[in-house]
Amino acid sequence: MSKNLGRLFVLITLGVMMTKTVTAGIFPYDYKVNTLENGMKYVLIPLESPDVVSYFSVVRTGSRDEYEPGHSGFAHLFEHMMFRGTKNFPGDVYDEMVTRIGADGNAYTTDDYTCYYMTFANPDLEQVIMLESDRFQNLEYSEEEFQTETGAVYGEFRKGRTSPWSVLYEEMHELAYNVHTYEHTTIGFEEDIKAMPTMYEYSQSFFNRYYRPENVVILVVGDFDEGETVTLLQKYYGEWEPGYVAPKITAEPSQKEPRARKVEYPGRTLPILDVAYKGPAFGKNKDDMAAITLLGDLAFGENSALYKKLVIQEQKVQFIAPGFEKNRDPGLLHIFSMVKAKEDVDYVKELVAETIATYQEEPVDKATLEELKSREKYQFLMNLDTPASVAHNLARYIALTGGIEAVNEYYEALVNASPDDIQQVAQTYFVENARNTIVLKGAE
Amino acid sequence: MKKNTKFNLLLAVILIGTNFIFGGTPVSDENTVLVPVKEDPTISFRLWFKVGSQNDPAGKEGLAYITSAMLAEGSTTSRTYEEIVSALYPLAADYYANTHVEQTVFYGRVHKDKLDKYYELYTDALLNPAFAEEDLNRIKSQVLNYLENSLRYSSDEELGKAALYNFVYDGTPYGHFPQGTVESVRSITVEDVQAFYQENFCRENVVIGLGGGYDKKLVKRLQNDLGNLPSDGTDSSVTAPEPAEINGRELLIVEKDANATAISIGFPIDILRGEREWYALALANSYFGEHRNSSSHLYQVIREARGLNYGDYSYIERYPNGGRRSKPMQNVSLRQQMFEIWIRPVPNETKHFVLRATVRELEDFIENGLTEEEFDLTQQFFSKYVLHYAPTTMARLGYALDDKFYDIDGSHLENLRTIIPSLTREEVNSTVKKYLQSEDMKIALVTNNADSLKSALVDEIVSPIEYATPKDKEVYEADKVIREYPLNISADDVRIVRVEEMFEK
Repeated sequence: MSKNLGRLFVLITLGVMMTKTVTAGIFPYDYKVNTLENGMKYVLIPLESPDVVSYFSVVRTGSRDEYEPGHSGFAHLFEHMMFRGTKNFPGDVYDEMVTRIGADGNAYTTDDYTCYYMTFANPDLEQVIMLESDRFQNLEYSEEEFQTETGAVYGEFRKGRTSPWSVLYEEMHELAYNVHTYEHTTIGFEEDIKAMPTMYEYSQSFFNRYYRPENVVILVVGDFDEGETVTLLQKYYGEWEPGYVAPKITAEPSQKEPRARKVEYPGRTLPILDVAYKGPAFGKNKDDMAAITLLGDLAFGENSALYKKLVIQEQKVQFIAPGFEKNRDPGLLHIFSMVKAKEDVDYVKELVAETIATYQEEPVDKATLEELKSREKYQFLMNLDTPASVAHNLARYIALTGGIEAVNEYYEALVNASPDDIQQVAQTYFVENARNTIVLKGAE
Repeated sequence: MKKNTKFNLLLAVILIGTNFIFGGTPVSDENTVLVPVKEDPTISFRLWFKVGSQNDPAGKEGLAYITSAMLAEGSTTSRTYEEIVSALYPLAADYYANTHVEQTVFYGRVHKDKLDKYYELYTDALLNPAFAEEDLNRIKSQVLNYLENSLRYSSDEELGKAALYNFVYDGTPYGHFPQGTVESVRSITVEDVQAFYQENFCRENVVIGLGGGYDKKLVKRLQNDLGNLPSDGTDSSVTAPEPAEINGRELLIVEKDANATAISIGFPIDILRGEREWYALALANSYFGEHRNSSSHLYQVIREARGLNYGDYSYIERYPNGGRRSKPMQNVSLRQQMFEIWIRPVPNETKHFVLRATVRELEDFIENGLTEEEFDLTQQFFSKYVLHYAPTTMARLGYALDDKFYDIDGSHLENLRTIIPSLTREEVNSTVKKYLQSEDMKIALVTNNADSLKSALVDEIVSPIEYATPKDKEVYEADKVIREYPLNISADDVRIVRVEEMFEK
């Protein structure tokens, strides 16, 4: 049992007793943050997880950074290319070395960041730091390898395309954004994916601009020696040349009128309703985002009056749920529902609007709000039970803000959110002119 | 909420009566599996009922699944489902049911602070279900939507796998999907659910699993309280299936307007975890097709070298939710397992080629086994990789219950740690030859233009492949062989089914 694990229990208990102000942060573990001279930040979180370490490389580049027309999908493509090796360790050598480590590892890409992760036995820590730092600094791949990987990406696109949800997401992003890069989803536009094989040189430029130390945060969680790890990080990343070039992203102008679209999905599905509003940028508006998250659960979560009416009592929908994203730039606040009969779609739409109006007009019940806050905190803390889950939970906060402090700030805002705050975000963000509505219907 | 109060009252009387007459014998220590972690501030509950889709009566396929959903997502005699949702919400805890072929588990995790309230709700759900008509309607609607829409149309690879399982185990208790069929689900009534619960979700069929920071009193309390489960003394066990013999290569083509082709291949194998040979086969399988891992040989051949799809894997145990999981699931144990290959969707124009390439790789794998280098690398990888199988108390509890299912003396997780490093290449390769073969197998494809694929397969039409991008010389050399590689499929062994007919009845 580590000091840090013991603290988990203590802080969960404290969290329940404190109802107003959290002076200590909610994040229960000790951590250290430092930055190398070249600008690369690292976060160390020691836990007593016998012999197990999680090592995350968070690149603060996602599909958001694909601002050049015709080049969507490259952040995700690099999630693939990064496994192709370097001049020091060509692809097959790299593969063999990683295989011998027996790590539980992979990578994923989101709109705002790309995350490479491995969980492994701690005797392999130096080998992992050496290999990770090498591929981030010295990635090398032939045009043929590049082209082959673009084929795998197209395969991934085809695989996902059978789902109505992929179609819905694509359409919603296209509808809600006209100039900002959130217009495309992470996998990219199909025509751009098709054209990828011809963009070998561009891919190198993409890598050289974004895979730089100032744009990467390393997160080490688990059973490791802190001093030794700091030395290793300095040794292997210290020579990495800075050179990050920020993407030229155009802010989305504020939406002036509601937008709506009907989408035909070629397969069979029950109708899906997606009502999405523009939210805040997370980094600058943690207080608003905390209140918005609470509002989402109160208004559309499983314990909401609307959920009970539509799912349990009237049984008109398969489900209704909020999908409120935390994003680096203003993202989308979705309300999803799968409706059983197409004739009821308008009815559900009206109820969503009425529900929002209710929260705009009346403050929420304080006791209900406090119960929800307690739930949110318990859920967050209970999910921090392994090195990998700690790292996965922190990765987005780190990516959006560049640091770990945002976790405490966000939960502090959540604990302090008042009924007035909830009412205020309902009035500010859930306005008609910022509304985007898609009704997706399947083939008859 | 509309509620048939009179019906529920009657049901409550029946249940109370049942418990009064038959209940009361606590669950024994022998049927209690404990994974204590004293410092853990949470408690993991995992109750295993020895019932699954194999127990579904003919014509009522899906009944085990729906009954368990009625317990986890339905009203009790004292609380409506709405009230249960409201009561669980502030606890930041929930409970879920998972019904597979042989096992059903009810699992949930709660912080110690919230234990008392949670315990009350959890046990109430299992002991005092109301089986309300409106709950059944809601759950049936969800299952029907899954069968009619999601499974048929939104994930061709899941459809392909489900089609393969039904195909391989056709005519046995394993031969239907746990969610049943459209026709059978529609026919299920409250009375069916009530009777199935009484017969199968009984004291004799339950094994308690508790993990984390519980205390001894909780164990006793749960043992005593679950003594009030129904008990009629009848034996509801089902004989392990004997799948029909496969003669040659039999194909099921599920035809739909698909933009890519999903391929699943399988045949029954006669080996279960616990035996040393199983671990030898697991190591070999890790080389040939480690799940969601680039070390998989099939992945290297089809995705890495040729860029034809997203991944290619193989299995010696059932692996549900493979698209969403990176490690094996617990409590989906089977007494009869199959060897399975999962080829993720490939471009339609390459389907014949990829099928040939896959079969060729399997034949080569069986014939030649692993080289010394491949063995050494895989052994080192797999010995470490298995350490990631159970990172949480809940997962370890799941494995401990499965140890009981497979009657393993000791622990499967420990076996993985100790046996894998002790295996020899000769042992592994001879085990592959003993248990795997490539002549008699079933293949499920989800694709378009089924008739033309059938003709191409039966007539052994050459299937050349063109790449949009240049490949290594070795790839082109191998492709010359693959494009003509005989599959030996006869017209009589190819069945074409329209997707609308899948899981209909």
